Amino acid sequence: MRPLAILQKNTLQRRLSLVFAGAAILLWLLATLAAGFVLRAEIDTVFDSALQEVAQRVLPLAYLEILDRDGTILETGGAAEVPSVAPHREYITYIIRDAQGRVLMQSHDAEPAGFPAILEPGFHAVAGRRFFTESAVRGTVFVTTTERAGHRHSAVMKAIATLVLPLAMLLPLSLAGVWRLIALTFQPVARFQKEIEARDPNNLTPLETGTLPGEIMPVADAVNALIARLRRAMVAERGFASNSAHELRTPVAAALAQTQRLIAELPEGALRARGRAIETALRRLSRLSEKLLQWAKAEGGTVIAEQPEDGVDVLLHVIEALGADEDNGRRLRLTLPSSGHCDITLESDAFAVLARNLIENALKHGPEDQPVWVHLSDAGLFCVRNPGAVVPAEELLRLLAPFERGATRAEGAGLGLAIVQGIARGAGSALILSSPATGMEDGFEARVQLPRAG
Amino acid sequence: MRVLLVEDDALLGAAIRDQIAADGHCVDWASRLAEASDYRDVVTYDLILLDLMLPDGYGLDCLRRQRAGGDKTPVIILTARDQVSDRIAGLNAGADDYLVKPFDLAELSARLGAVARRYAGNPNPILMIGGLTIDRAARSVFKAGERVSLTAREWALFEIFIQRPAMLHSRAHLEERLYSFEAEVESNTIEVYIGRLRKKLGYDTIETMRGIGYRLRKSEDEGG
Repeated sequence: MRPLAILQKNTLQRRLSLVFAGAAILLWLLATLAAGFVLRAEIDTVFDSALQEVAQRVLPLAYLEILDRDGTILETGGAAEVPSVAPHREYITYIIRDAQGRVLMQSHDAEPAGFPAILEPGFHAVAGRRFFTESAVRGTVFVTTTERAGHRHSAVMKAIATLVLPLAMLLPLSLAGVWRLIALTFQPVARFQKEIEARDPNNLTPLETGTLPGEIMPVADAVNALIARLRRAMVAERGFASNSAHELRTPVAAALAQTQRLIAELPEGALRARGRAIETALRRLSRLSEKLLQWAKAEGGTVIAEQPEDGVDVLLHVIEALGADEDNGRRLRLTLPSSGHCDITLESDAFAVLARNLIENALKHGPEDQPVWVHLSDAGLFCVRNPGAVVPAEELLRLLAPFERGATRAEGAGLGLAIVQGIARGAGSALILSSPATGMEDGFEARVQLPRAG
Repeated sequence: MRVLLVEDDALLGAAIRDQIAADGHCVDWASRLAEASDYRDVVTYDLILLDLMLPDGYGLDCLRRQRAGGDKTPVIILTARDQVSDRIAGLNAGADDYLVKPFDLAELSARLGAVARRYAGNPNPILMIGGLTIDRAARSVFKAGERVSLTAREWALFEIFIQRPAMLHSRAHLEERLYSFEAEVESNTIEVYIGRLRKKLGYDTIETMRGIGYRLRKSEDEGG
């Protein structure tokens, strides 16, 4: 089984998914960064305003606490601490100092040591903290406010986190959405891909192109045009083999029939003997031309059927034709699948040629008084066995070569096994020869695993 | 037996015609389907030998039409198409046998006889009629254990009688079974052959129904 498209390298779906997801993440990061900057600026403005507001509100109160009626600073003997109404945490602290920098008053959480010595009115940033100083009474009293250390940074971070976290949680969802959306968009293309992947090499029906996008359609059309062309070529090739057989057989049949009539009409003697010699030569020509045509077709590789066919039917026809000869019929022992049928994708004519050649071989080379076993299993294993002398292993290989004949006196073109091998190869299988035959001490066995349907 | 041969190859057709005639049967030879159809319109044939690839059509289509029309005449296909699918198609179309070219003429004769016997209702080639033992496959007759030599024509005439032993055959019917369209038949030819058969097989083998025709004297007693 193939992995998901997203996991496969170099798929368009994976590339688009990664590009879209990457772009979404980048945009999201940029948007978050910009939002962070804006937020920081706004928080700075609000916090600075708060510091300024506190300083300006504290200043009039400070007058009352630290100045006498004529405006001179009262001696308090140290920094007076403004008590809190109720215990609370102070986020903005302040100190009130005179022109010499002495602390006259402070808020209860203020730490004077943390305030800068500088008394210039306005904002100052020292060690990452913001301070605001306001002066009054002609530069004799100074109020400096600041916020709690880290408070502003913490506020900014919390605000950014509140903004980012929900979006970060939505990010995987949006990535999954992107992938799904692309997968849906690519569904017709994926179907097209699966159809091509699952297609049997011998299936020459056109591809389904109905819902394909415009970019892929020309490719599918080109593939279909190629398939159609191949199909036409194969039909023409089959037609050629069939027509060649027809064109060749008829004149040979006429010559043979005329010769046989001539023999029948001639008196016994030299002329009749010559007629018989011609008859023998014509029979040989007929057999050889038939085998050559079968071999040409087998080597052409056009042996796979578009629709499954029942191998049992075909085999029975072959057995019936061969068994018409009484001697053959007596020797043949047939075992068929227990189910009574065996659907194969090997073309019926090709299977008939394969079966006929193997059975004829066995009948020809096996002892005349011994049986020939023909077996077709439920699993589509076709096997023909005959008794006889053991054939050495090196000769078995040689027998597969065309025009190669074993150590036999039997007549033949030496093409039978080459034809069977060609058909088996065309069907994606192989002809396996063994001697001695399975379960026997001698004999010869030929078997081919036929391509099963489904 | 009267046979219709449909074959467009002149050399092959002539050889087949001569072979069937030598077997004692009557042959009409058509080289086109249309010609064959004309013949069938005027004569009832005992058997048709049909080539498939003919100049004016495909023999199998003609056979299908023939069967669809209820015609039961036995048909043997003679063809150069040797594929098993062709053979299956031929038999499915209603052919009784299928012979692939090139074939032996002797095999053709044997198949022709086998199909004819099957159609006559008795595929067994051995018959015993009266004191005669008849081997229809070997085309031989034995009388009291001795082989009786019959010419092809005599055999063909005798075969008409043994195919339907109880049937009465008129002289015209016998002439039609034995002679093709081209043949010139003398008015007493049938009587001459009947006489020869009686002489060889026994005078009581075939009886004459005066003014009507001829029939086998004894009923069939199958054996073998």
